[in-house]
Amino acid sequence: MYCVKCGVKLEDTEKLCPLCGTRVYHPDVERGEASPLYPARKYPVMLHPKTVQIVVTTIFLIGCLVTLLCNLETSGTVTWSGYVIGAALMTYVMAVLPTWFRRPNPVIFVPSGGAAICLYLLYISIATEGRWFMSFAFPVVGILTLIVTTVVTLCRYLENGRLYIFGGAFMAAGLSTILVEFLLNITFNRPYAGWFIYPMVPSVLIGGMLIYLAICRPARETMERKFFV
Amino acid sequence: MSTSKDKTQKNTQGRKLHWMQLDNAAKIYPAARTRNWSNVFRLSATLTEKVDVEVLQSALNVTVRRFPSIAARLRKGLFWYYIQEVEEAPKIMEESSYPLVKMHKPEVRRCAFRVIVYDKRIAVEIFHSLTDGNGGLVFLKTLIAEYLEQKYGVEIPAEQGVLDRREPPRKEEMEDYFHKVAGRVPASRKETDAYKITGTVEDRERMHLVCLKLPADKVKAMAKQYDVTVSGLFAAILTKAMMDMQRHEVINFMKQKPIKILIPVDLRRMYGMDSLRNFVLYMITEIDPRLGEYDFKEICYIIKHQMALGVTAKNMSSMIATNVAPDQKFILRLAPLPLKNLVMKAIFNAVGERKSCLSLSNLGKVTVPKSMEQYVERMDFFLSPPATLPYNCGILSYGDTVYVNFLRDIKEPRLELAMHEVMRDMGIVATVESNRGNKE
Repeated sequence: MYCVKCGVKLEDTEKLCPLCGTRVYHPDVERGEASPLYPARKYPVMLHPKTVQIVVTTIFLIGCLVTLLCNLETSGTVTWSGYVIGAALMTYVMAVLPTWFRRPNPVIFVPSGGAAICLYLLYISIATEGRWFMSFAFPVVGILTLIVTTVVTLCRYLENGRLYIFGGAFMAAGLSTILVEFLLNITFNRPYAGWFIYPMVPSVLIGGMLIYLAICRPARETMERKFFV
Repeated sequence: MSTSKDKTQKNTQGRKLHWMQLDNAAKIYPAARTRNWSNVFRLSATLTEKVDVEVLQSALNVTVRRFPSIAARLRKGLFWYYIQEVEEAPKIMEESSYPLVKMHKPEVRRCAFRVIVYDKRIAVEIFHSLTDGNGGLVFLKTLIAEYLEQKYGVEIPAEQGVLDRREPPRKEEMEDYFHKVAGRVPASRKETDAYKITGTVEDRERMHLVCLKLPADKVKAMAKQYDVTVSGLFAAILTKAMMDMQRHEVINFMKQKPIKILIPVDLRRMYGMDSLRNFVLYMITEIDPRLGEYDFKEICYIIKHQMALGVTAKNMSSMIATNVAPDQKFILRLAPLPLKNLVMKAIFNAVGERKSCLSLSNLGKVTVPKSMEQYVERMDFFLSPPATLPYNCGILSYGDTVYVNFLRDIKEPRLELAMHEVMRDMGIVATVESNRGNKE
């Protein structure tokens, strides 16, 4: 029998045209019996990713529960187990949670990871009565998360301009060390040391070099030639 | 320099197991594997009667001894992967609804090939590091010959790609010839990006297979009419089909991308060698739609000349020289395997797959010894689609039919439909079947 829509000749096994999806039917033509090319609804035996995710999640939960029980048994209250559980939850959000999605979008999961780190640090800050979260940890993690998220977003949605993106990111990361030292000094009452110069100078130089390569085509081609593997 | 070293190691029963380094072409496949993709291909033969699984298992037990480089598993060394002959034949598997399900790491380490039975069909699925399509075909034919001998008592001579199962494996069959035929001047790998077919991506464990069956005499006559080889004719048909598809997708013709088809080239015939390892390279045909409109005759003409220029021993040697160059650097060979994997994967991701729209593997006319012909009804060949491309196409001709198999991981059969439309306009109507035929 032929497909009424696209005209391809169909084997007797086909109920829908494999090319255009049209239902194979003709009231006057009786179709012969033929063995299908592959068995129907028989799936390969395999470990489905969902199974792996459920197992990993269960391991995480059991780990957290055992830690909590041990802590309660020995101290009668939540002390050290809070750090362990917090670290486990942070790891879970960053490493396992994205795998639950069919196509995890890093533009969403990078800030989520940043938020998880912030929450964990907030817990430590409160638990240790450190009072360093708002003045130090939050702005530092926030800036780094912002830089990484910007890089990931631009790489995902722009086809070109990788050199500009990474060049800019290196420069931003380098410059942010000024802020890190400043926040460190005011939070912990440390004297000014000026150590930020050591990470900042190489980062800004690398960033500048990448942007120079992005602008200067001959230099870029020379580098491509020299580093072609 | 890395040459193919075939060594042996005693197994628990005292039998010596062969082990050998991966050949040059095979090294990329373990490194380039992804979560959803492993480079596996399938060859199958449909017999005239239902397959007797017990007899086939017994035939497989005999056949694996003859093919230590194919009946093998992938193992890890400190610096390189290597393959080792399996101690015993794997169990025959039952067919599922979907061919070429990903070979996960533990499976490849246990045994890097499968033998699958469904009704009258015997199929082998082989991890590409072990051998290429032609090597796999020799394995399948020899397995079927042994099966027919055991089942029906037919005497099948060792000819036309059937090997004598009683003789020991020959050294030259296990040889990696790439280093021997490498040229002096390495060729450039530089290629422009090609048009990419897009669609609704589906699970890689459940891929769609569409087989177009064409009358061989009509295909041959058509190839003769356009003065191209059969591979050239199919490359031209697919090029035309993809040009039509791209014309509908990208209205601004200056933004259209070249249509490039990767055609594997069997080097055994070119260099007169008998290896059962990977001994295949490729050439890429290219038509740039930005240059203007092409009619079918013009496409055939261009592809014919591109193939004639590309498929020469000197050209292939030059391409091989590029591929074997890293192997020849002692310092690079000293790098630990995880580091090599990282580098190879990065290179593969950067240049590996964007340079062609799909790969068109044509095994040509497959023949079997006369005494086998009456038992073998049909043969098929196809490969898993590359990691980032949705299609692959495998072709072979058996008897009076050409079997064109498309395996894809997208929902819409866009290329098959476009190809059918091109062929229909030329007067060839294909008979089509699929692995989803029995599902509405």
